[in-house]
Amino acid sequence: MLEIENLSAGYGEALVLRDFSCRIDSGKVSALMGRNGMGKTTLMKTIMGLIRAKSGRIMVDGVAIEKLTTHQISRIGMGYVPQGREIFADFTVAENLRLSLLGHEGGNVLTLEQIYDWFPILKERAEQRAGTFSGGQQQILAIARALIGGPKMLLLDEPTEGIQPSIVHEIGVQLSHIARETGLSILIVEQNVDMVRTLADEVLFMENGVIKECCDIEALRQDDSLLHRYLSV
Amino acid sequence: MSELIPIILDVSSYILILVLVALGLMIVFGMMGVINMAHGELFMIGAYVTVAAQGAGLPLMAGVLLAPVVVGFLGLLIEAALVRHIYLRPLDTILATWGLSIALKQLVVLTFGPESHSVTLPIDGSLEIGAFSYPLYRLLLMATSILLIGGTFWLFTRTDFGLMARAVIARPDTAASLGIDTRRMYRWSFVIGTALAGLAGALVAPIISVDPQMGLGYLVPGFLSILVGGAGPLAGVLVGGAVVGGVNNLLAIWISPVAALITVYIIAILIIRLKPEGIMGGRRAK
Repeated sequence: MLEIENLSAGYGEALVLRDFSCRIDSGKVSALMGRNGMGKTTLMKTIMGLIRAKSGRIMVDGVAIEKLTTHQISRIGMGYVPQGREIFADFTVAENLRLSLLGHEGGNVLTLEQIYDWFPILKERAEQRAGTFSGGQQQILAIARALIGGPKMLLLDEPTEGIQPSIVHEIGVQLSHIARETGLSILIVEQNVDMVRTLADEVLFMENGVIKECCDIEALRQDDSLLHRYLSV
Repeated sequence: MSELIPIILDVSSYILILVLVALGLMIVFGMMGVINMAHGELFMIGAYVTVAAQGAGLPLMAGVLLAPVVVGFLGLLIEAALVRHIYLRPLDTILATWGLSIALKQLVVLTFGPESHSVTLPIDGSLEIGAFSYPLYRLLLMATSILLIGGTFWLFTRTDFGLMARAVIARPDTAASLGIDTRRMYRWSFVIGTALAGLAGALVAPIISVDPQMGLGYLVPGFLSILVGGAGPLAGVLVGGAVVGGVNNLLAIWISPVAALITVYIIAILIIRLKPEGIMGGRRAK
């Protein structure tokens, strides 16, 4: 379970998150929605220790992580797929996956077979340079790379950005399957409503650095006025 | 022809030592953005380790083996006390390591005196084929350098450590979010870079005069090699070292050392002007 209490964080003197609090239950897929500039990516980066929290607490299963370094946060079970994917373009697919295995050595890692079973394209192209992949394939690699470290929770920052719709759907279905099969918790920042409807159990709406509203996905399917209010769609 | 071969071998051995020095510099710069002005002094201390070993009655081989350990340990101390505070801030690193270089130089002057020392050649013989004759130690030096350069390339391109190091160079934040301890990678890469400098210093000690100023003579061409070759791929150092070392040495023999240096600088300026990323490319955009 991820619990955030009174978190303030930002860039230099400018605070993007002010007294941000929320709770993400284990075994669920939670989507974080909101317009651009509302602090969603800042939140993801602060959870991962890439931006230092100015104040407040971030707890994973009761352990405070806001003072830990990024690699320590990763090793206690937080998988992260950053915005823009950030795969290592000069490395092969297998090397990209190997890096995550090396980073989590001695931990509860998954096997390559498991990853290849979920994403067969990575097995077919294991020796191909990752930079030659399409955007969608790179996204699959970035997700697989985070999963192979055996995370308890996966943070996904706009995974559908710049990816063709057919692959978006495929990624959504596969992630949903993986979450159900393994009990993995997912926190996904997403603007793509179809992706959220495919994958999420609950939706948190964020505005000006705080959570304004929370609802489960069924409620959103019945009534999409929240989407109009918080996303202007 | 038989007169030309020793010259080619002399130039080659200079280039190989220069590449060893530049490799250490480049690992530290390419990975951590640290421009280590004290690299020449670490090279010099490596040479003084063999002087000390000789003074203690130990064989040169012991000095050569001790030098990377002593200098690598010194690198570990420097990393922990100084460099780790200024990672990825190249301008600050210049100032801090320049100060360090002065301190190290004075430390050596206080310990060993300002005069130059000589280290006895461990192998006295020469390889003689007909009219051609060449000192065995220099051949051994070249073979060892080739092995070390090859070993460094192997470490950074073929091993798990190398994969992690290249990942940290390319995307430090992403590498960290995959569980890789970037601090630890920085530390050990710095130690490897300094140990290489120490080893290079120990290897050349028997063929040059060992004095507190000797570092500068390799530091400047070392930096030029990186500028000319390109800081990205390791192969850039080989090309840069060959160009800078080759021109410098050949012209020093044929014309004069001053003319050689002037020519090296002109070539470096031309290459940097025409191809700012270096011959092999890959310098970081700043």
